[in-house]
Amino acid sequence: MKKLLMGTLLSSAVLLAACGNGDTGTTTDSEEIPEEAADATVIRFLNGFTGGDGAFMKEIVDNFNDSQDEYFVNESQEPEHYTQFRTGDYELVVMHGVNLETYSADGLIQPVDGILEDVGMSINDFHPAAEDLVGLEDGNYGIPLDIHPLTTFYNKNLTEEAPETYEDLVTLSAELQAENENMYAMGIPDSGLIEFYTLTLAAQNNVDLLSEDGRYLDFAQEDLADALWILHDMIYEDNISPAGLGIDGEFHAFMQDTEGDSGGNQTAVALTGPWYYQAVSDAYGDDLGIGSIPQLGDQVAVYGNSHVISLAASVEDEAMLEGISAFMEFMYQPENLSNWAASGQAPLHTETMNYIEENADEYPLPYQNQQMFDDYVAAPAVYQFGEQIRYMNETVIGRIVREENLTREELMEELENATGVAQEIADTAPNQ
Amino acid sequence: MKISKTVSSLMFLPFLLFFILFWMVPFLYGLYVSFHSWTVSGGNNGFVGLDNYIRILSPGNMYHDSFMNALGNTLYFVVISLVPLVVFALLLALLIENIPGKLKVFFRTVFFISYAVSVTAVSAIFKWLFTGNGGYINNVLEGFGLDSIGWLNNQPYAWIAVLAATVWWTIGYNMILFVNALDEVDASLYEAASLDGANAWERFWNVTFPSIKGVFVFVTIITVIASFNLYGQTLLITEGGPARSTMSLTMIIQNTIFSQNNLGMGSAMAILMGIIMVFITLVQFLIGFRKDDNA
Repeated sequence: MKKLLMGTLLSSAVLLAACGNGDTGTTTDSEEIPEEAADATVIRFLNGFTGGDGAFMKEIVDNFNDSQDEYFVNESQEPEHYTQFRTGDYELVVMHGVNLETYSADGLIQPVDGILEDVGMSINDFHPAAEDLVGLEDGNYGIPLDIHPLTTFYNKNLTEEAPETYEDLVTLSAELQAENENMYAMGIPDSGLIEFYTLTLAAQNNVDLLSEDGRYLDFAQEDLADALWILHDMIYEDNISPAGLGIDGEFHAFMQDTEGDSGGNQTAVALTGPWYYQAVSDAYGDDLGIGSIPQLGDQVAVYGNSHVISLAASVEDEAMLEGISAFMEFMYQPENLSNWAASGQAPLHTETMNYIEENADEYPLPYQNQQMFDDYVAAPAVYQFGEQIRYMNETVIGRIVREENLTREELMEELENATGVAQEIADTAPNQ
Repeated sequence: MKISKTVSSLMFLPFLLFFILFWMVPFLYGLYVSFHSWTVSGGNNGFVGLDNYIRILSPGNMYHDSFMNALGNTLYFVVISLVPLVVFALLLALLIENIPGKLKVFFRTVFFISYAVSVTAVSAIFKWLFTGNGGYINNVLEGFGLDSIGWLNNQPYAWIAVLAATVWWTIGYNMILFVNALDEVDASLYEAASLDGANAWERFWNVTFPSIKGVFVFVTIITVIASFNLYGQTLLITEGGPARSTMSLTMIIQNTIFSQNNLGMGSAMAILMGIIMVFITLVQFLIGFRKDDNA
């Protein structure tokens, strides 16, 4: 019996050991490392490209791995890749531009200036908009990949050209409703992509959201209330958008067919994310038009998020850094980075932008979106940007869009609440 | 067959091991973390005592506001989901018990099969059904000349959509538990009740319900616990909206830990949620036993 007891305890010990932490180099690899790359330096590259664009990034990675045998890029595409990055071991990570301030403050990423230098590039090899995206106090914290701005899709059957101004939208909506009361110029969602609308309207109305001390987003501004009230007017005053569109309503309304069985309200134009390109392209084919964002405020401006490639703070090994430089040098060749443009994303790399311009027919969406880079306004660089703006996205904009009888006083009160939350989030930054 | 205490202890050992490894250790570790300023990426930044708990329970800060809002939402869902998930499940089980044998197996399978569907698929289906602009339900309403409803961006409609998805998804599980309990009821009791002239309601109230009461209490308890853990449906169907009105406790805890990078505060929220759940379960348990004693 004692032997049996000892055997059980031993088995348990083995089980416990198996459950424990292993080598810190262990990763959640998305692919097997091939035998021929057994001696290669493995670069763990994490991104969140789990949608249609994932295949295009994979092609770049595969092409790099096939092009040499000294390094092997082991790519992981994860839906919760930020959580993976915080808790796992990776050398390279694709981040959204708005998250750079947070991840640098948390000590998770490091400047990439050394990599850029090794590759023979500088921030000047990118569109000027890139500087605001990746430049923090002590260096550039990412190699700019793309900007995915708010994008205008339009149905050529309903409008010959993309509307350029607020007045164009009013006219278009009136014309459409004269034919069918369920048709509108465009749709305003009450959540989802609404952050893009908020920041675009702020930029078009010259509202600076950054607080005086540069720590938090200051929403409690009369000018911002004026800018956001445009959304209310578009629905309840000028009948540009139907009321009651929910999450991603701008996209769903654009995809409606009022003459078919789907019912509901249809719009001629969608101001939405470029990631919907494949869906709208499949639905409309040659009848799909792509335009620039209309001017809804005092000036032309557009907001969108961006992807950048960042270097984990833990990377110090020279061989690893050389491998990363080699990968970046390969990726930032127009013939390779154009693979990323083929996914519909608009790269910021100047040579690749030139390549896209020369082949505009092949890359219609990136070509159109890179036209807007000159008017691009980046989000303020604050700690936990997404959390600071969360109350705006989840509560304030929803009230503007849903509540016809909302008053300006109520809106200002909500903007003050949103600022309060942003301040509290800013206070959680390290070294506060 | 009689087995020795040593052998039975050995057979219990794997359970004990896994209980300690996957329940006791994480629980105690979570408790420890909740008394610290702790981030997911940075780790332990020092002991803060009860500060995390005090901030959650003291008005005037975002942690209190979000926790209390989510607690209110979650309790609301627990209340509105209890009757459909328990009483309707019992009614369904009674219905199935009273149909012919082969049909009984068929319908039992049909009602249970939805439980095997993932929450992602269930949520996708119900989001499509309840979409305000051109959704299936609104198309049907419009077909009858009725106004369409903004199901997912207005209350109480958003809760109705979440509740409908939850009931469709999980009612089969409770129903199966009731069906099994009903199978165990002594048929001679029904015969005796019939001889005494009892009608259908009297047979249910005096024979069926007392016989399945233990299962009824159990189903009620696990339903409350399951409803307390509301997450997937509200995350995927309403995204916590409109205006955070379907934001559940689990969503807030997840957001605090992973989005705000605040493991200490999130752990304190999770511990508080656990305490509330234990308290409610205890009350249910005591009520169940008290009634047993009176019987």
